[in-house]
Amino acid sequence: MSCRHRNGRLNAKSSGDENRNHVPSPWSQCRKRGADGHLRAKRETGSCNEKQHRRNESADRHSDIRHANFTTPESEGPVSRCGRQVDWGSQVENDELTRDVHRDMHRYRRRILAAEFTQRERMTSSESSRESPIPTGGEMETDEAVLLRRQKQINYGKNTLAYDRYMKEVPKHLRQSGLHPKTPNKFKKYSRRSWDQQIKLWKVKLHAWDPPTLEGQEKDLNDIEELELDDVMDIELDFPTLPDSQSRSACTTRSITSLEDDDCSSTPNKVMKTEPSLEPHTA
Amino acid sequence: MDPKEDYRIQSFDPETQALLKTALKEPGSVNLEKVSNIIVDQSLKDQVFSKEAGRICYTIVQTEAKQSNGNVFRRCLLNRLQQEFMVREETRARSVQEWVCFVTFICNIFDYLKVNNRPMVALVHPVYDCLLRLAQPDALMSEEEVDCLVLQLHRIGDQLEKVNSPRMDELFFLLRDGFLLHKGLSSMAHLLLLEVLEFRAGGWRLSSTAHNYYYSELAD
Repeated sequence: MSCRHRNGRLNAKSSGDENRNHVPSPWSQCRKRGADGHLRAKRETGSCNEKQHRRNESADRHSDIRHANFTTPESEGPVSRCGRQVDWGSQVENDELTRDVHRDMHRYRRRILAAEFTQRERMTSSESSRESPIPTGGEMETDEAVLLRRQKQINYGKNTLAYDRYMKEVPKHLRQSGLHPKTPNKFKKYSRRSWDQQIKLWKVKLHAWDPPTLEGQEKDLNDIEELELDDVMDIELDFPTLPDSQSRSACTTRSITSLEDDDCSSTPNKVMKTEPSLEPHTA
Repeated sequence: MDPKEDYRIQSFDPETQALLKTALKEPGSVNLEKVSNIIVDQSLKDQVFSKEAGRICYTIVQTEAKQSNGNVFRRCLLNRLQQEFMVREETRARSVQEWVCFVTFICNIFDYLKVNNRPMVALVHPVYDCLLRLAQPDALMSEEEVDCLVLQLHRIGDQLEKVNSPRMDELFFLLRDGFLLHKGLSSMAHLLLLEVLEFRAGGWRLSSTAHNYYYSELAD
């Protein structure tokens, strides 16, 4: 919709204004592809009229192939940043992913705030309220592109037979921290490397539940707990009830939520040990 | 609940009906690309089916998502729809009936296949493109196309307007022009267009007096 509007305005401008200076249209700058789906050639900021002309041309072809990067009224930015995904299947998937991420983000924020409120009520005045820092606002990852990428990575891990089997075998209430694979929390600030490493480790652990060729490994990892972060309501904000892990987590960084308490405090597992060193990294 | 009744699959041969029934219950166990092609192919031929094919698609999509968190079927369906959309002008030139079936089908998909209770973004412009095509002077000459256009507007007009109001305005400019200026319109076409103009003007509802005017003498 907005794509068409902009086309209209641009068309009007180009026909009326011969003396336009060589400022390229900001809109054409951020579109990797023309409306016909083909990559734009890298242009210098040369003739603006040439760009306008191309815009008009591609506008005529516009009705045949949808541009991938519409900014719709409901979205907060281009729905699909990657111009490659012109096909409807991908567009719909990306749109769905974006909405899911935003919804998760709102829920997460609310839960954090609610838990923070509860925690403050329970704390006595002698305890420092800074013992369990909660990420709000600037300490939480909110960049949409980052969250989308992370969610996609999580989805790859979850769309596996291993994950299905793991889910069936270990009900959430029986999971134990430290040994069970745990979905990395996409809302926490991590560097790119740190996050990718966590995802890798998580997927490696999930392999223990691969269909029967890997029987030996399954027994070791049976007690590992995992948090389902796509259903944010399941996130265990357990700092009010686990005082010992709570104080240990406070030693690391301010930005850690109690979600990672279990990881950095208790596990004897060799694999898990690397996680505390990853925690302090900030994005 | 008889799948035959609900999903209007009576027109398929028994083997295909069986396949579709399996797809509805266990989408993971069938070739979903094949199923999506079967459904689309039939929608382009069978007007009755194209009007309600969205339902069977919806069920398969939901079931697949629930059972395996997959969306293979939806993806295949959408991409096949996209292919058909790209060649719609050729389709129309070859067979107006097939073109009308296509529009009916894509609008039905738009109606049924929602994402988070919202229409799929990828379909909004294509649906508008189709309806705008139907509002062109050459299409208004054919009662089949006018009939299709007003039917879709009755079914999804309000939803379409909600997601993109300027394009709905654009469409109705064409409809008004067509109604007023087009010399070759049949009286039936005139009637259908006038009704839909009033329908939208009334907030996608027809007043009872208008309803009496248009429908008191028409067979259901």
